[in-house]
Amino acid sequence: MQEQLNQIKAEFQNEISNADSSKSLEQIRIKYLSRNGIVTLLFDKLKEVPKENKRELGKSLNDLREFVTNLFESKKNEIETQSSGLTSEIDLTLPGNTIKLGSKHILNKTLEEIKDIFKSMGFSVFEGPELESDYYNFEALNFPADHPARDMQDTFFINKKFLLRTHTSPVQIRVMEKMKPPVRAIMPGRVYRNEAINARSYCTFQQVEGLYVDKDVTFAELKGTLVSFAKQYYGDNLKYRFRPSFFPFTEPSAEMDITCFLCKGSGCRVCKNSGWLEILGCGMVDPNVFNYVNYDSEEYTGYAFGMGIERIALLKYGINDIRIFFENDIRFLKQF
Amino acid sequence: MKISLNWIKDYINLDGITVDEIVDKLTMSGLEVEDVVNQNEIYKNFIVAEVKSVVKHPDADKLSVCEVFDGQKTLQVVCGASNVAANQKVVFAPVGTIIPNGNFEIKKTKIRGVESFGMICAEDELMLSDDHSGIMVLDENLMPGNLIIEALGLNDVIIEVAVTPNRPDALSHIGVARDLSAIFNRELKIPEIKLTEIEQPAKKVASVEIIDSINCPRYSARVILDVEIKESPSWLKNKIKSIGLRPINNIVDITNFILHEIGQPLHAFDLDRLADKKIIVRSLDSKIEFTTLDSKKRELPEGTLMICDAKREVAIAGIMGGENTEITESTKNILIESAYFNPSGIRKTSKLTQLQTDSSYRFERGTDPNITKYAAERAAQLIAELAGGRVLKETIDVYPEKIIRKELSLRFNRLNKILGFEIDDNKTIQILKNLGFELIEQTDVAVRVLVPTNRPDIEREIDLIEEVARINGYDNIPVVPKISVTLERKEDHQKFEDTVRNILVGLGFNEMINNPLISEKEASLSGNPIKLANPQSIEMSCLRTSLISGALNSVKRNFNFGNKDLMLFEIGNVFNAVNTTEIRDFEDFVENQNLVLVLTGKEQLKSWNAPEKNFDFYSLKSFVDAFLSKISLENFINDSYYSKENEIFIYSYQKLFENKVIGAGGKIKKQILNLFDIQADVFLFEFNLSEIKKINTPALKFVEPLRYPKIIRDFAFIFDKKISFGEVEKFIFTQSVNLLKKVDLFDVFESESIGSNNRSLAFRLEFYDEKRTLTEDEVEKEFNFLIEKITSNFNAKLRSS
Repeated sequence: MQEQLNQIKAEFQNEISNADSSKSLEQIRIKYLSRNGIVTLLFDKLKEVPKENKRELGKSLNDLREFVTNLFESKKNEIETQSSGLTSEIDLTLPGNTIKLGSKHILNKTLEEIKDIFKSMGFSVFEGPELESDYYNFEALNFPADHPARDMQDTFFINKKFLLRTHTSPVQIRVMEKMKPPVRAIMPGRVYRNEAINARSYCTFQQVEGLYVDKDVTFAELKGTLVSFAKQYYGDNLKYRFRPSFFPFTEPSAEMDITCFLCKGSGCRVCKNSGWLEILGCGMVDPNVFNYVNYDSEEYTGYAFGMGIERIALLKYGINDIRIFFENDIRFLKQF
Repeated sequence: MKISLNWIKDYINLDGITVDEIVDKLTMSGLEVEDVVNQNEIYKNFIVAEVKSVVKHPDADKLSVCEVFDGQKTLQVVCGASNVAANQKVVFAPVGTIIPNGNFEIKKTKIRGVESFGMICAEDELMLSDDHSGIMVLDENLMPGNLIIEALGLNDVIIEVAVTPNRPDALSHIGVARDLSAIFNRELKIPEIKLTEIEQPAKKVASVEIIDSINCPRYSARVILDVEIKESPSWLKNKIKSIGLRPINNIVDITNFILHEIGQPLHAFDLDRLADKKIIVRSLDSKIEFTTLDSKKRELPEGTLMICDAKREVAIAGIMGGENTEITESTKNILIESAYFNPSGIRKTSKLTQLQTDSSYRFERGTDPNITKYAAERAAQLIAELAGGRVLKETIDVYPEKIIRKELSLRFNRLNKILGFEIDDNKTIQILKNLGFELIEQTDVAVRVLVPTNRPDIEREIDLIEEVARINGYDNIPVVPKISVTLERKEDHQKFEDTVRNILVGLGFNEMINNPLISEKEASLSGNPIKLANPQSIEMSCLRTSLISGALNSVKRNFNFGNKDLMLFEIGNVFNAVNTTEIRDFEDFVENQNLVLVLTGKEQLKSWNAPEKNFDFYSLKSFVDAFLSKISLENFINDSYYSKENEIFIYSYQKLFENKVIGAGGKIKKQILNLFDIQADVFLFEFNLSEIKKINTPALKFVEPLRYPKIIRDFAFIFDKKISFGEVEKFIFTQSVNLLKKVDLFDVFESESIGSNNRSLAFRLEFYDEKRTLTEDEVEKEFNFLIEKITSNFNAKLRSS
């Protein structure tokens, strides 16, 4: 008999755990607990049991009925709460309160991601002024006065001597003036260009400058560092190329292109059908620059690089109008 | 710069090299190819067709319906050009052709009810020029059905090369060919001069004198008599057209041709219009007005280098000729100028006169001083061939101080040290030779070369290293995935800014970035603005003096988008002149990093379990305090200074540190909001982060949590409304002994029942000691003492509970 009870208990447990609706629950109730249910009928059998066993079996039967009823009720509660969300105390479905979620501007978030990569490679982070002198922005970076190289960057002037920096490269000079090699630093910051405001260009943007000067820094290491950066930022399958270019403060100079991630290199509007996207400019620090900061260019070599944050974010997030970065539409800001 | 591959093949054999390879190698060696137009590709479907008949479109005044014969069949075509006529040979785009300009496909279509099977093309549609005045009318001898690639010789590849400012040598077809010759190690063929001169020497007819030899180190001239000004032959016209220029006449075309062949700008004077047939090169003593050959009157400043004849100015040197001596239809005798001008002088003049020409572009970058004679002779030869003149003997060549080639050494180990890998010495030497460097000495460790004078950019060993590196290919430089680790102290000067940003995002603020260039009106609201000398517009004529105007502009923009509930912040630099309007030094201005917080609209939307709540002054205070607490400065910047109306705020307060204001904010005044067209309450606080960063806070120390119980006591008083909470709070602490640790305000109550001039303030006091348990008695004593003091000092009335 006891064995039979255990079996009924096990079967019931199994059935009740599989019940998933009030309908299946009702079937279980009928099967076990109704007037003709298995458990109810067991009590009828009690009459047939010899007196001396009655007490023991009665207790077992009561235990079984209690167990079945409890489990049934708790399952019933569970199923009802799940479907309506109501408990005896509260309505669980009432909404919580809206918490105001802050957000970093996507440009600063992008910058932070870039900074993190370079910081992990042992670069320090330095800053310099946005309102700069001609000396730091041009002269000490080997832009001769009256040289067409100055036309490469449309400049906002305050007067003959002061201007809004057109790149973060002047911070290179400021850092090298303060420190002796080895110098390994990135220098993020805002720069200005006197360019018409439209979907593709804006009068200000942010750059990250990088500089590494030591005794045996080579172009091969420059490539190594930037390839490592690009793979960490854009993904390991990245294809890249280094193309000769010209910056007065580096020699040799290069620009780094990566495969256009929109068309995967087959050519599209964004990459002007070249299959490549330019992501940064770089090169070996020009000896003239070392002369301005009194570094011995025979003893020390170095590399420098610079990249624009807006461009990187435009490409990465598929944004087609740069002006949206400066509109501060809360619906845009909250996306990131 | 446009380069024609057909043209460039005059100087180098490119057989067996594909266009893709040429384009790729040019880009990868420093002459970036920005665009490639392969005519064989884009013109492959265009054919010559004959217009058989033209009738007016029945339903459109400006359209014609033409019968066009394509060599096999006759098609009906609707045409919009006014010059279309029967029997013309035209360029025809059959159905399925892609039109280069606009990249669209020609489809069978109905135009105003008339079917059309193709298009008759104008030059601009083929991107041959900008001309859209009418369809191209072709030579009548062309056969209908022939491909225009063959019929018009449109089988060229035109590449657009972006030449960096350090490479004036590459601003010509021979210049690009020279790089190709080094890249592919093939011979560069410079055209030989075959000149037939007459006996009469040029210097007997004309003369050249240089007065300003600093700005004009060399002036070469050729004199050609009895030329016939006429149309150029088609080979020349095609070359000129292939790079997007318009043929004018044989003389102008020849000077343009040589500019784009050799890179030497030339100018042709009408010799008979030069007074005394004399050229004098001098700088202006005083400013003048001068009419250039584009018939524009220009004001030229003192010091401008001019070409003059015996009486007057005849050209702005290196930039543009004058109308008074230009070549005309009737010109017979000409003087060809081929000079070398000082680059920085030309650049100055070009900037001052805002006149940039193909000539000035090259002169300001630096032409080859030693090519002038060759270029003059090349011009003379072509003029003799194409204009039938008689070339006078010898070039007049004034060159007082010859510019000689620099000598430079390249150490092989230095090359390896910079690049980080070894290039074979012989490869290095071969590259330099192909680029025109003359080898004068070679040892095991170094090579010594003469630098050609067309390379003003090459002045040092490092410049030679770049030449070798770029021709050898940056791709061949290994990627060394290492960075030597020096364990110097790392610094992060943006760490504080990053922390601030994280805190504010955590508090629920959204970050903005505003344009730091603002109007003078906005910049003057607070501070001492610094003006730009060359602003784009009056809206962007000053640097911001504070972050307020940017913030308010962003609030306004969001209102326009229907976003009314805002919590914004920005970290950015602001600029103020110090005691001056003229920035002469870094001491004359301060550039600070500021932080602005802005609140407007609802802090809490109405919801089922909470009432609606608008942002108010106290919301602002809460955030300011929360922020200061998170940067661990709440115990240092706890001094507040409250004030009434000022320029920006109706009411406001400042946060001070050692009597220095490090932040201020409050409720923005209506007059200011009106400037930004904002109709809502705006609460704003601006911090000076640069100052906050300077505060030296002691390192954080552990404080053991309180082990003894606190005793809490409440009381409420009725005060006159003129008494502020702040005054009472301060008073309480001055009266209390050390047991009282904290005072909280938990209720403010106003009612007629306590008198309209009064209000009730209810305080909760916290007493404890870090070292022992307080007794009820001592707290009670203290508490009663405070009640007594407050009552007497403020004439306040204790409320019974």
